Amino acid sequence: MSAGNAVKIIRLSGELEISRKYGLRAALTLSEDAAPVLLDLGEVTYADSIALTELLRLCVDAQRSDRPVAMVIKTPQFARLVQYAGLAGAFKIFDDETAAREYLAGLTRR
Amino acid sequence: MPRASQLHLHCPAQSQYVAPVRHALTAFLEALEFERQSLEDITTAAGEALANIVEHAYVKGACPAECYFDLRASVNRRGRLCLDVCDGGLFLERAPLPGRGFGLRIIRAIAGELTIDTSSGTRVRMTFDCKK
Repeated sequence: MSAGNAVKIIRLSGELEISRKYGLRAALTLSEDAAPVLLDLGEVTYADSIALTELLRLCVDAQRSDRPVAMVIKTPQFARLVQYAGLAGAFKIFDDETAAREYLAGLTRR
Repeated sequence: MPRASQLHLHCPAQSQYVAPVRHALTAFLEALEFERQSLEDITTAAGEALANIVEHAYVKGACPAECYFDLRASVNRRGRLCLDVCDGGLFLERAPLPGRGFGLRIIRAIAGELTIDTSSGTRVRMTFDCKK
């Protein structure tokens, strides 16, 4: 995890699945600062509904404190999982980090 | 006419066994030359069914030796995949909670047919039209 250019960046990789449930929850718990959040999931090779639940939890927490969240997803399996779960409208998803950063920067300029 | 192919795996119903079973299913489907997207979707559905067992099938404190999951995959001569994911625990109908319960929704979106038999433990049967 790192903070740069006033954006909180959380990078996760590998398989996000049930055996990592508690680690995911810890990694996806927001700190008290008010920075926008960039979730870089570009190196994730597989995700399941446990991961979706934790991502949704983070997004709800961020929304409560008015923090925008952008998500980078590159893996086709992960992108389809979001569609199958009916969560496409719940996340702001980009296929590269630059586009995600531009989205967050656009929101913070307002 | 090709022969039918089968895979049978039996493991303790613990979270650390879900990924290895899913990987074994991936290898089975790769050996049968399934197309990548079908293969990923099928293993995703299997992973959801297995995770449901680990999360919900057995009550806390149940004897570990009696807590298991079982995966059987068979591809018939017509190329149709039947996937059974079974346990010996309880199937509880739960009121949907906000932000939870995506597993069955995902399985329904992927499987061509889905049946859930709770007469003895729980058997989730998914069938898929194979794309190779």
